[in-house]
Amino acid sequence: MENTVDTHTARPRAGLSSLSWLAQAISGVALIVLAGLHMVANHFVVEGGLRNFADAQAYLSHPVILPLEILFLIGVTIHALLGVRAILFDLGLSDQAEVRVTQALAVIGIVTIGYGLWLTWVVITF
Amino acid sequence: MQAEKSTRPRQVWQWADVRRRKLGMWAYTLNRVSGLGLVLYLFIHLAVLRLLAGGPAAWDNFLALVRSPLFLVLDVVLLAGLLIHGLNGIRLTITGLGIGVPAHKTWFLALMAAALILSAAGAIAIFTM
Amino acid sequence: MAIQVPIKVFRYRPGTAPHFERYQVTVPDDATVIDVIEGVWAEHDRNFMFRHACHHASCGTCAVRLNGYERLPCIVPVTEALAGRQELVVEPLRNFPLVGDLVVDVAGFFQKQAASGLVITRAAEATLSGQPFAHSELFSQAGALEERAYNRFENCIECGICISACPTMAATDKFWGPAALAGIRRATLTTGDCQEKAALLALADSEQGVWRCHSAFECTESCPQDVDPGGAIMSLRREIVGRKVKHLFGAG
Repeated sequence: MENTVDTHTARPRAGLSSLSWLAQAISGVALIVLAGLHMVANHFVVEGGLRNFADAQAYLSHPVILPLEILFLIGVTIHALLGVRAILFDLGLSDQAEVRVTQALAVIGIVTIGYGLWLTWVVITF
Repeated sequence: MQAEKSTRPRQVWQWADVRRRKLGMWAYTLNRVSGLGLVLYLFIHLAVLRLLAGGPAAWDNFLALVRSPLFLVLDVVLLAGLLIHGLNGIRLTITGLGIGVPAHKTWFLALMAAALILSAAGAIAIFTM
Repeated sequence: MAIQVPIKVFRYRPGTAPHFERYQVTVPDDATVIDVIEGVWAEHDRNFMFRHACHHASCGTCAVRLNGYERLPCIVPVTEALAGRQELVVEPLRNFPLVGDLVVDVAGFFQKQAASGLVITRAAEATLSGQPFAHSELFSQAGALEERAYNRFENCIECGICISACPTMAATDKFWGPAALAGIRRATLTTGDCQEKAALLALADSEQGVWRCHSAFECTESCPQDVDPGGAIMSLRREIVGRKVKHLFGAG
């Protein structure tokens, strides 16, 4: 049998390997708390189920809420894009395409988080 | 080898085909579909929040629209999606670390029952507030 | 008593479009599905391609999709397969290159199996080092098979059913796949060599290793020999993560 993979000499591409799964698991567990907070605070405890502009501004300006909401933004973006990455990988991509998809999603993630931070800043300082 | 490779039929949608498969496959596909739905929602949500940059005038007018019953139903769908994906995710994290693997189907059924009950409770809360 | 069995079979030759053909095959009522498949060849078409050898679920050669689910047709009674159905539907395994009719190319699959160092995986044959197990290593004084953590994987008959059932295998041939990862798991349990073990765990921890599994557990469900490749993948993950955590705290 030619082309047999030899355990001792083959150096499989490490890629993100366990990091992608661990990041997905850790962000997922964190999101259960952070998304729970976000949903309850923005959709349940306020009059009419949603915050008006003044309420949203006051909410986001809170010194404890603000870092938690920023953490939520970062966590949810990472979790969502790692999930998309896993699904895209299952389209049967080449090694090169897998690297390009990872890079493209990283850019989308940075832009998304940047946009969220900018929007938060605009609301707080309005 | 190249010629042989081309005779392997692509099965890109096998992940979505749960016909005749077992509970674990249904759980996996449910997690993927709910995840894709939540990603779609996330980006729509972020795009809509752009209205906040227009200040109270833009945002508070928009609120009048999304407080309608149709949007409240969508809120319930969102809540159910988060519960299904989140609770199933707890199972995947725990079994994914080699803990409780033989009981993964029991875990799934119990957590989905919890998702159903919590979604129903959430729906009542959303429509009675 | 002989019965008439209607069967719909996947037919394919390179360069032609895959299609189904229907046949009627006469078999005894206590026959298994492999007898019906052989009947297609014997009674209807001598060019019909299929694989079979042992007829008792120890070679894994005849694995197909029967009525939409991966089975070894040599151990499925015809009456069971026909229960509540008009006809049997027999297709080749998914996620392998097609050769013709029910025959798929298993060369790539066996190459991955070899990566674990366990080309031959059954207890009675050979160990990682190539030395046969001593009888006393395998059996107790009373003659019972010794309970070891890796006994279950020794049941693997390399039939490829888990490859056909796995949704990740459907996406890419690069994934090591359930059978090979179960083999790697078993090899990590049998080897006494730390370097060997580290190399095997590195293989499992690679981009196309255990982390590509999406926990559908279809491999474990469909395995005709109760090998539990899904459980093996999760155990490998626990070991890999455990080692990383130890390493993080300077204990590795």
